[in-house]
Parts: sequence; structure tokens; C-alpha cells
Amino acid sequence: MKHLTLGTTALLAGLSAIALPAAAKDLTITVWAGGSSDADAFRIDNIKTAAEILSAEYAIMGEELNITVEGRRDFGGWEEFKQGVTLAAEAGTAPSIVVSSHLDIAPWSQAGYIVPVEDYLDFDTFPLNDIYPNLLEIAAYNGIQWGIPQDAESRPFFFWKDTMRGIGYSDAEIAALPERVAAGDYTLQNVLEDATKAVDLGLVEKGYGFYPRPSNGPDYAQFYQSFGGMLQDPETNKLVLDKQSMQEFYQFFVDAVEAGITRKNHLGTDWGQWYNEVANGKAATWHGGTWHYARYTGKEGNDDFFGTIEFSLIPSGDANGRANTVTHPLVYLVTNQADDQDEEIAAQLIKIASGPRLNSLHAIKSAHLGIGKQQSNIELYAGDQWASEATERLLSTANAQPNHLSYGAYSEAMFKGLEASWTGAQSAADAVADLETELRAKLGDELIVR
Amino acid sequence: MSRISKPRFNWLGLGFLAPAMIVVVLFFLAPVIMTAFFAFTNMSTSTGITGGDYLLSQSDLRSLANTKASAATLDALENAGYRVDDAGLARLAEAQGPATADEFRKLHEGDLFTSRRDMERALKDLRQHRIRSTRDRKLAAELFTSSVMDQRFDTEEAFRAALMTSGIEAADHDTLVDEAYTGWIWTTKNIELLASLSSSWRYAMNTAIYVSFTLAFNVGFGLFLAISTFYLSPRVAATFRTIWFLPRVLPPVLYVLMWYWLTWDTGIISTLAGYFGVAPRNWMLDTGTNAWVVVILINGFVGASLGMILFSSAIKAIPASMLHASEVDGANRWQQVRYIILPQLRWPILFTSSYQTLSLLTSFEYILLATDGGPGGTTEVWALAAYHTALNNYGGNLQYGLGAAYALVLVVIGIVTSLLYLRFFNFRELVSKPRIEQ
Repeated sequence: MKHLTLGTTALLAGLSAIALPAAAKDLTITVWAGGSSDADAFRIDNIKTAAEILSAEYAIMGEELNITVEGRRDFGGWEEFKQGVTLAAEAGTAPSIVVSSHLDIAPWSQAGYIVPVEDYLDFDTFPLNDIYPNLLEIAAYNGIQWGIPQDAESRPFFFWKDTMRGIGYSDAEIAALPERVAAGDYTLQNVLEDATKAVDLGLVEKGYGFYPRPSNGPDYAQFYQSFGGMLQDPETNKLVLDKQSMQEFYQFFVDAVEAGITRKNHLGTDWGQWYNEVANGKAATWHGGTWHYARYTGKEGNDDFFGTIEFSLIPSGDANGRANTVTHPLVYLVTNQADDQDEEIAAQLIKIASGPRLNSLHAIKSAHLGIGKQQSNIELYAGDQWASEATERLLSTANAQPNHLSYGAYSEAMFKGLEASWTGAQSAADAVADLETELRAKLGDELIVR
Repeated sequence: MSRISKPRFNWLGLGFLAPAMIVVVLFFLAPVIMTAFFAFTNMSTSTGITGGDYLLSQSDLRSLANTKASAATLDALENAGYRVDDAGLARLAEAQGPATADEFRKLHEGDLFTSRRDMERALKDLRQHRIRSTRDRKLAAELFTSSVMDQRFDTEEAFRAALMTSGIEAADHDTLVDEAYTGWIWTTKNIELLASLSSSWRYAMNTAIYVSFTLAFNVGFGLFLAISTFYLSPRVAATFRTIWFLPRVLPPVLYVLMWYWLTWDTGIISTLAGYFGVAPRNWMLDTGTNAWVVVILINGFVGASLGMILFSSAIKAIPASMLHASEVDGANRWQQVRYIILPQLRWPILFTSSYQTLSLLTSFEYILLATDGGPGGTTEVWALAAYHTALNNYGGNLQYGLGAAYALVLVVIGIVTSLLYLRFFNFRELVSKPRIEQ
């Protein structure tokens, strides 16, 4: 048995040979879900449903299994959640199941906080063999399947249709934008031009031509990729700093500020204000996440999403780059528990919760994308215009950020450089030079500079 | 007659000191020792805090390629695979019964599977003696490999024992043990890294700006409030002091939120300035200067209230007769302040300055809430950088060791500054016995 000592292996193998009398087993499974609002309640509720199904399966096999599921998602933010999980794991009181970013797999697996679900689950069986292989890959690290993707999403570029009409686009031209973006025919330079027009014509206020996400996140890696940047070298798995792409990416935001289409002090804008503004046409173009659909059409009161907003991949920056989008799935992870059987049951629960029917509940309620092919055969999912269109237009080309121990340091430093050039504290060239020094010092051999 | 008596050891005195000692040990000594300890480790989320295990993963294999591990060892690790041989079948017979092993021997004897998944699929070929539980099948698959790859071992002994069984050259064992260890190790790299990063100098300069300007504001404004309220009627003075005390007693989050309302481009300043034709702007984050002014004011008002209280009580302690006498001599208010009040406030001012320097060096909560070091790192002070490094990372791998190294620098500066202040204050003289008792 992998990941366990040989002694334990022998012991368990020995035990499994002895037929144990059936006894009632009472078990409490705790689930902690990070970054989850009310709309994401199914991340926990699906485990409850799965517990009922699993208990029924056990009953048929003649075993009594009583599972109590306790969920928690009232964390102050991602930092608080991640600190909570790591400290609990160090103290030996980790929750049985955590829902977190796939980027946590590298550090948490190395630290021994989580166990590989592949030790407990047969990935040749349904629904695991139905999950998109590229999503499964994102929940793997070092060739081991550590978790199961809990949802999928992607981070599109948005256009406000009325504003685009105002600067001279016909309805047909607006509808053709996603294809032009995908083909590399409509680039970030066109975004600069169109947003400038929108500001100059007074259709949107100054600073609202291009209205990016107001805080750090995976989204900014997309703009690096737009200019041909690569995050990880597929051969050596080392992280890559492509200086020219990085500088062009920083420069794009500097240009956007100079053109008056993006505010110099945009970063740090209140998220509540931001959602309200983009959902109601205050910005000409912006970028966000597929799950924003729920917020725009819900709390922010945009009743006609498809009539007012067009969405596409993030446009390419120049000929070297490509139109792209990053998907940043959350994953179900099973933590290291004193009792192997608890880990096994937790693993079985997340397997059941990953079925197309249960996952569609979460996907549609929270406007995320599905994880499995069969979800297109679930009416709830297939009947949802947003889920089906976004899956088709975005998910097939989406890539994820690398699961790598040093990626956290890499992405923090990358954002710091962006912030410095965006706010005018440094030129793009200086920011990249500083970034190179810092990454070389911090990552050493794990970095390739181009 | 004076006789110098030797100080006697007094158990009662020690008893009275005990609570203070406990507090000093718990809240000063222990954190300092732990900071120093962490700073010389490579501790991060991935190494854990409480120690490590032994695990060889694919990324370790890639690093091993750069060490002196032999090619044969690397090959053995990489391509151990799953072999259906007599030894494995004997282990299967022991675990699942001889009948199962016999059936499996007929199906796959001598086969070699490169991946675990293929081995499990082979086990699914069993018909008469199916292994029904996934878990048992996975356990059975592992009976056919002697690879140490991707297995977690709790102790070095267990790992070395497994290396012996797997038949890897003994010469490479030490290299593999070093590579496989997942816990933290001692290192001086954090300090070297801090010294080499240009950002360190920026953070140090930012801290110098922050501490000196905020301190000047704290003391200056605190003095101004204390002296100006001294000349008001007691009731009015009390009201003013209460109002100026508000920034300190408000929860920081609320207090900073009010600054948002004041300074953001949709806030009060922008709205009022709008009446005079000034375009709305973010008065907190528009430029570095804006951010510094706001950061210094936010912290300054909090600090000034402490100065105000201390200075006010010190002024009240000045004998009223001195002020009355000066009025008889025809001194005006300014002359009273200049020649009577300020000279008597020398010690409170020095105390407040030293206390505030030390607390400002390590304080970052208001900056975190207001600008979070922005715009573009302009207000990123040393303590905030320590926080960001050790406890805030979107990618998940928190750098406890490096963060502690940042903090250690502050500890050293803090201790050195305290010693300097003690000397400057002539602390010995302050606590020495009055001459009259000698």
C-alpha cells in the first residue's frame, strides 16, 4: 500500500483477511469549505446527501454505518481558512474533508496533511471515470491523484453590449467578438482602442473603459499568458519567468492607466462596489469569473445578462501570445486521520458527491461549471444557458496554474510587480528586473528565466 | 550614621515578582526565542511545523538527477513497477487466501506492470475469487512492488529499512534520506536572502518614514491637545479629551472604515471638493504621498490620544503656585508653556517617544486595513512584509521561516533601541534611591 508504512500495510492486509463481525459504526465527518458563500452551500450539503447514499449501500451489505456530517464555511477569507486547516492539521484535529484551491495540494501533500484519494478510490469506476481528464490532472501532483475537482470555472473577458454599440459595433459584430478573440483577431490592443473610444465619447466615465478585478488572483496570470508567457515548463516542471512577456503584460496595464481607461488606484476597490458597477454597465470592458453570473443576475439585479453582456476568452496581447483563460477549480481533499477507515469513508463520500446529479446542483446554484461529461445529460445542467455556453466557449481551452511548491511565492511576486508598475511606483522594466532578482533568490534552481 | 547593608535575598519579594516574571517569559521571552528559532529554519506550510516524514516523490527524483546518486539508483526508483513473482504471490496468498493467489498466478504470472493503476486492473481480472473492496484490491496491488517511491515513512529507520529491501545501492542511501525528508531543516538562507533583496531596503526606508513621521505627529499633536485643553474649563476639556480619545477606543476595522468614507473617490473629501470643481479622486491611494499622509494620520490620531492623556496628567502635577506666580510676574500663555510646562514635561515626552518608537516599529494593523502596503508597495513597512510573507499567500505555501527572519530583524532593532533609550534616559538615576535616604 502506498503512502503508508510497510508495517501498517502488513497489519491491514492481515486484518482484511479475517472476517470481522458486522458492528454498527458511528462516524462524524467534518467538512470545511473555503471561499464559500450561501450559493456554494452544496459543497457541504452534497456530502450530507452522499452520506445517506453510502449508509444505504452499507446497509444492503449488512453493515450499519451512521454518518453525521458537520459543515463549516464561515471563514473570514481564504487566509483564515488556510491557516485554520494547517493549524488544525498540525494539532491533529483536521476536518475530515476540505474544499480548497488545487494550489494547496502541493504544500499540503508534502506536509502530510492530506492523503491521496487514489489510495481509496477506483478511478476506473463511475463517476470518477466521467470527470474531464484535464480537471482530474489539476487535482494531481507528482503523479498522484490527491483530490477530486469539486467544481470548474473559468475567467472570461466581458463586454458591455450597449457601450460597444455606442462606439460603432453592430449586433452581429458584437456576437462575433468571442470568435474573433479566440482566433487572435481581436487583441488587447483592440481593447485599449475600444475602451479609449468609450471613454472619449463619454459612454463610460474616465477609468471605466477597462475595469479589472480589484485584487490579486489567478486572473492576472492570464494576461501574462496573453503575451506568450508560460508558467511552468512541461519538460522539467520548473516555473518559468519569460521576461519579455512579463514586461509586456505589465506595460499593458501601464498603457491602460495612461490612456485613462483604467484607474491608477483601481487595485483595492471594494468588491461590492465593483460587482455593482460591472453588472450594471458602468464599465465598457472588464474581466471576471464564470461564477459572477450568479452575482450579476442575483444580488446586482441584472435581469438580462445575455442581452447586455458578451463574454469571451481573455484576448491575446500580441502575435506571440494566445487568447486564453485560467480555470482554478476547487478540489475535495481528504485529510490525514488517525483511523484509516475514516479516510476511506471520507473518500467514498466525495466520490458519491462528484456524481453528475449532485455536482449539477452545486454548478447551477452557484453558476460554476460542471466537472463531468454526463452533466450535459442532466436536464438541470443542460437546460441552463450560462452553464452550457460557458462550458463550450471557455472550458475546452482553459489551463490551470501549476501545482508547484514555489508557485505561491512566484504569483505573489508577479502581482507585486504588476502593482508597482500599475500604480506608477516603478516602470514596467524596473518591476520586471526586481521580479527577476527576487524570483532567482527565492526559487533558485526551480526557476527558468527566458 | 550611615551603614551600607547588603541586599538580602527575600522569598516574599520573589513571590511578588512571580506574576510579572511569568508574563515576561510568556509574552516576551517565548515569542523572541521562537522567532529566532524559526528564522533559522526553512519552515513553510510544506515542511510543517512539528517535524517531517520520509517521502520520495517525482519531484524528488528530478532533484536527485542533480546529485551524486547513481544512474542505476534513479532507474530502480523510477521503474520499479509491479511484478507478479513468487514472492508477491506468496504475500497475496497470505492476505487473500491461497485460492485467490492461485487464480491470479494462472492469469498473470511473470507479468510486469509499470503503473499501480494497471496492477489494480489486472487484479480485477479475478473471477472466482474477486477482491470486492477497492481498498483491499489496492492493498493487494502493493504486495507486488518493493518500490519506496511515493510511500510515507514516519522514521528514518523505517525508510532505511525499506531502502535495504528494495535493493538500492547502499552508497546512495544517505543522499536519498536527505532528499526524502519532508520536514524543516536549519539554514541561514533566510538572513542571506533578506540581505540580498532590494525590497528589504525599500521596506526599511518605508519603516523609517512611517516611524519618524508618525512619532512626530503623535508627540506633537498629543502635546498640543494636552496644553490647549489645560487652559479650558475642566468640563469642556474633558469633553474634548474624550472626543480625541475615540480613535483609540474604536475597533480598528470601524475606525479605518471611517477613513475609507472620508478619502475614497466616492467619499466625503471628494464630494466636498467636487463643489469647488475638483475632480473626484481616491485621497488614500491616488499617489504614494496621499497614502503616506493617510497612514500617518490614521496611526497618528491613535497614538496622539495616549500622549494627550500622559501629558495632561503631567501638566496637572505641576504645582499651580508656579503658574500663579508667573502670572503675577506678567508671563503670557506662550511664556508659561515655554518656560514652565515644557521643561517639566521632559520625562513624559521622552517616555512617550521611546514607547511609541518601539510600538510603531512592530505595528502594521492599521496599514494592513487601510492601504495593505499600497499603492504598489509604497507603504509596505517591515512588519507588514513579515506578515505578508509568513501568513498571507494566495498560492498556499506560507513561508514561516522567512517571515520569522523579517520579524527577528525587528526584535534586534527593538532591543538595541530599548538599550539606547535606557542609557539616554539615565534609567539607573531614575530608579536610584533618593539621596536623602542614603
